[in-house]
Amino acid sequence: MNDSLAAGVQVGIDTGGTFTDLAAFDPVTGRIVTVKTPSMPSEPGSALVNALAAANLDPASVEGLIHGTTVATNALIERTGARVTLLISAGHEDVPYIQRINRQTLYNLRWQKPRPLLRSRRDSIGVEERLDSHGRVVVPLDRAALEQTCRALAVSEPEAVAICFLFSYVNPEHELEAKAIVERVLPGVPVSVSHEVAPIWREYERTSTVVADAYLKPLMGRYVGSLTRSLGEEGLRAPWTIMKSNGGVMRAEAAAANPIQTAQSGPAGGMLAAATFGVQAGLPDLLTLDMGGTSADVGIILGGEQRHTTEYEIEWGVPAAIPLIDIKSIGAGGGSIAWQDAGGLLRVGPESARATPGPACYGLGGVRPTVTDANLMLGRIDPGYFLGGRMRLDRGLAEAALAPLAADAGMDIVELASSIVEIANENMASAIKMVSLERGYDPRRFALFAFGGAGPLHAASVARAMRIPKVLVPLYPGNASAMGMLLADLRVDKVWTQAFRSTEVDAALVDRQFTRIRDAAIADLRAEGFAGQPSIAYAISMRYLGQNYEFDAPIPAGTVTPETLQQAFDAFGDIHAERYGYRIDNEVIELVSFRVTAAGARVKPRLEATPDAQESAARPSRMVHFRGAGFLESAVYRRYAMPSGSRLSGPCVIEEAGSTTLVEPGTTAIVLPDGQIVIETNAAGGMKR
Amino acid sequence: MSAAVDPVTLTVIENALTSTCRDMGVTMMKTSYSPIFNESLDFSCVIFDPEGQMLAQAEFCPSQIGTIKFTVTWTLDELGLDAFEPGDVLLHNDPYRGSGHVPEHMMLKGVFWEGKLFCFVANVAHMSEPGAKTPGGLSGDATEVFQEGLLLPPVKIKRRGEDVDDIWKIILANHRTPKVTYGDFRAMMASLDLAEERMHELLATYGEETVRSACRELLEVAERRMRAEIRSIPRGVYHFEDVIEDDGITDRAYPMKLTLTVADDEVIADFTGSAPQAVGPVNAIYAVTASAVYNAVLHLTDPTIPRNEGCYRPITIIAPPGTIVNCAFPAPVAGGNTETSPRITDMVFGALQHAIPERIVAACGGTSSPFLFGGADPETGDLYAHFHFEGVGWGGRRGLDGNDMVVTINGNCRNTPVEVFETRYPSFRIDRYRLLADSGGPGQWRGGLGGERILTVTAPVTVSALLNRMKTDPWGVLTGGSGARGGIWIERAGSEGWRTFVEEFGTLSPSKFSGIRLEPGDRVRIVMPGGGGYGDPHDRDPEMVTQDVENGFVTIERAVADYGYPGEPR
Repeated sequence: MNDSLAAGVQVGIDTGGTFTDLAAFDPVTGRIVTVKTPSMPSEPGSALVNALAAANLDPASVEGLIHGTTVATNALIERTGARVTLLISAGHEDVPYIQRINRQTLYNLRWQKPRPLLRSRRDSIGVEERLDSHGRVVVPLDRAALEQTCRALAVSEPEAVAICFLFSYVNPEHELEAKAIVERVLPGVPVSVSHEVAPIWREYERTSTVVADAYLKPLMGRYVGSLTRSLGEEGLRAPWTIMKSNGGVMRAEAAAANPIQTAQSGPAGGMLAAATFGVQAGLPDLLTLDMGGTSADVGIILGGEQRHTTEYEIEWGVPAAIPLIDIKSIGAGGGSIAWQDAGGLLRVGPESARATPGPACYGLGGVRPTVTDANLMLGRIDPGYFLGGRMRLDRGLAEAALAPLAADAGMDIVELASSIVEIANENMASAIKMVSLERGYDPRRFALFAFGGAGPLHAASVARAMRIPKVLVPLYPGNASAMGMLLADLRVDKVWTQAFRSTEVDAALVDRQFTRIRDAAIADLRAEGFAGQPSIAYAISMRYLGQNYEFDAPIPAGTVTPETLQQAFDAFGDIHAERYGYRIDNEVIELVSFRVTAAGARVKPRLEATPDAQESAARPSRMVHFRGAGFLESAVYRRYAMPSGSRLSGPCVIEEAGSTTLVEPGTTAIVLPDGQIVIETNAAGGMKR
Repeated sequence: MSAAVDPVTLTVIENALTSTCRDMGVTMMKTSYSPIFNESLDFSCVIFDPEGQMLAQAEFCPSQIGTIKFTVTWTLDELGLDAFEPGDVLLHNDPYRGSGHVPEHMMLKGVFWEGKLFCFVANVAHMSEPGAKTPGGLSGDATEVFQEGLLLPPVKIKRRGEDVDDIWKIILANHRTPKVTYGDFRAMMASLDLAEERMHELLATYGEETVRSACRELLEVAERRMRAEIRSIPRGVYHFEDVIEDDGITDRAYPMKLTLTVADDEVIADFTGSAPQAVGPVNAIYAVTASAVYNAVLHLTDPTIPRNEGCYRPITIIAPPGTIVNCAFPAPVAGGNTETSPRITDMVFGALQHAIPERIVAACGGTSSPFLFGGADPETGDLYAHFHFEGVGWGGRRGLDGNDMVVTINGNCRNTPVEVFETRYPSFRIDRYRLLADSGGPGQWRGGLGGERILTVTAPVTVSALLNRMKTDPWGVLTGGSGARGGIWIERAGSEGWRTFVEEFGTLSPSKFSGIRLEPGDRVRIVMPGGGGYGDPHDRDPEMVTQDVENGFVTIERAVADYGYPGEPR
């Protein structure tokens, strides 16, 4: 599988905390290649280069490279971003601290208001300037004072600057002038400007977003810079792109300039894969479980579609208003460390052994017991076939790591290992409840889509505990996120913000502006190397005059006339009626912004397995521990040697290079025509219908 | 009676009810017209059974969640269940029939299943314009409920799915901003339709009997767990007193007296001995007082208990009629719900400070700082009206400082962003909105900071106010110091220096008045009180004092005086 691919290959690379996953697609032969290599947290870029080498790919033959990264995510969660200086309209310096004055939950006197990403309240500095709600200047920008402020700042060597002025989404002039001054007086210091990062009203949400962007800029700039250099040295000539949180992709330099867009870069690819694989298997309603080395991400797919939101929160009450696919992350992965809390209770995660030192059994110096060590002790993974045999696991080291905790907990090692797996499963089940039950979705109506290296190992137990009737294991589950990246289209959104009332909108002006931003969007697509025919969609964000929340209604792409505008108003009424059950005929509609989406469709891989007839499916059986049943002799199969239509009864183990699928006793695995596996858990009892 | 519902189904149904209430709120937020709905979320969404027992709620305003129980029960008592037909929507805001105060309008809709009434879905929301004597209602010097807005006993605004035009006409003719009222009412109705649809889906999926059994079981679970929680509070009889500083009409203070008995698994809050009802609008109706006590008990107990009627069963409230905590018709009540309510909740914490010091908090700023205004848009001529409120500092607690600038405990509303405020209302520009150093009460655990807002008038406007804590302190506990007071001041165009409204306009109270006309160039300053401190400030970790000074939460002068801080490093 490692023979090299022809030119024109598309590559998706997903870097997690523990592993870097690659999927490559050769559009000529339709072949997919997957590789999993260790991540290198100290030099995240090297892992990409290693992955390309491990896949035996000549970077010069790569036509497109899409990268999913957790650099931004981790910096936000661990709060390791830059010290940001915020320049904000004078009198409103406390916006990041006052926030929206509500509480996360009622009835909890221990709740603490979240801290902003600013390091000190003194880092929020007022700037003399003021616009009114129409964007008219009330107080001119005091340039001299701002220069003075910047010069004073220069002494303390600021790491990044964020600028947010009131009403800049109506008139960006003051922000642009301030940006120019900062860039002149503080050359080399990254600057984020609110109307560019998130041209939305509501000053707290916009401020929080622009501060987060600035917070990430130095880090993301360094990351993209060093990666571009290393990839270039390896011979990559194609522009490389980064996965955005919304499932689209952007050029790497653009990601460095807008790092907040990558806050959920990693998991987005997996959600694209889930939707496609689910539809292909006839299971369009999925709960998704992506269990990797460091964390588990769960999400929901309804009718083959991801849920999109713009309500990303770094933590509750600290928003970053970016478009994204709705996903919930918890610290439960193969590397999650087991420990005893002060009360003597056994806990698993959220701390992870990550790539270094990794689980004890990796033999890289880890000494604390992890979920992977527990799985190894229970016979659930084969020490000789980890990463397809490219990495040997050491059972002795796993046992040594588990022993002290077993003694403390008063259990034998197998009992401890089994409890660790059980607790990790419970943690994932709780997260799945958050995206299903808590939103009123009954998990018994869904299939569980299991991916990530460890997902298929745990999914059947999690599904049974939650009475989810089916588990769907895609092809190459350990690389599904990377495969999802190959499914992403190039997508450029351009927005023009200008308020009109439906009674006085100027169709000719709207037409000119639509044409302008459409051309700009197409130019961006071309810059990303897209040569085909882009698909163009126009939409207008509207609301009834007086409402505060708008949504997009489509308008035919092409010349805008009073007639096409009327069509858009009718469409708005229809959508309003469908969503909220009513429309108000003859009400004035407020047009808020105008959006063009230009998409460049890319050649998609066929998501099919190429069964390897050379290999025999059945391997020697082994003893595998199942909770409640003890060690059972279990058949072992090589996944891609099994013909479609195969039915396997548990207990058995299905192995492949990037993952292991565990089929529990009492469940049945079926190989679908496209090579995916469905496990029937026989667990959906208690349903009325 | 019926077989127990399996635990998974019980959880599914509980979450489906709660998420229905939450989604009702989202519909209201997304479609309504007034910022008090769509930015502040000053509303609540609830599901009741036909006996008027609350089955589920989503986390919006605690005071509304407590009072709506009475609004619904009293409505059902007055009309009887036979009055409801499919598609009917009832509208109601009369405080003497169970509404919290006049601006709060409840809509109620019966959900029918196979021809029979199964449950009620309801929402209650604060309308920015109720047709009172001054724009926005909450007139600080009202002397009768009739001055506080158009009173609506429970009337059908929709009958069998059709608008009742006569009712609409009466309401729209009496509100200053009929277009906003229309949009907000439509949003409320849309949220009820959504809830009805969700309930139908739930009933179709699980069957009527299962859903009914699950609801019954959830009420019992809540009651059982609440009783167990109350048992963890040391038994005893506890006392606390506080005072409402004035009422807008007289300069008299109104003491409130609480005797709190914790007896095994029950709580009895007895307000006997509290002052006779006020002349001005600071009176709480019984439902508001009861709601404030429920709110306190819910805050002191396990937040994972299902929030339904079962929680209330172990709690008894005694409030003598004709007092400030249970006023008699037609006394004005607007501030009872916004001002007196959080103070009653704080009194429960104060009473229990020695019994459960690890669970209570010191007083919060204790006022919603209601500031009402209205006028005509100079460009369009359209009338507008707004109920503006503010956050306060919250009290310190064991191990944690109080939160800065959060809305009082009776609500959970959001502020209106400056950008939304100035876009919607042409009358003001907000020059300053910030925290105030030193406003948090000193303590081992400091009170949270209050703040200030300075507004410049940009078009002629009529303003009213109904604030508190301008004459009394947010108290600390266990030797913690008081938080700073709040208030409201005026600086007329062309003059300099802040004056009280008493000094400038001869109002009876500096914080409660109505119908004052301001002109462009005038400036208004609203100060929000801080929270009380917890424990002796000299026990505060010096590192935390240093942090406070470095962040500007406490000035060096106060750090030296209150905490024994060594002063400016040299």
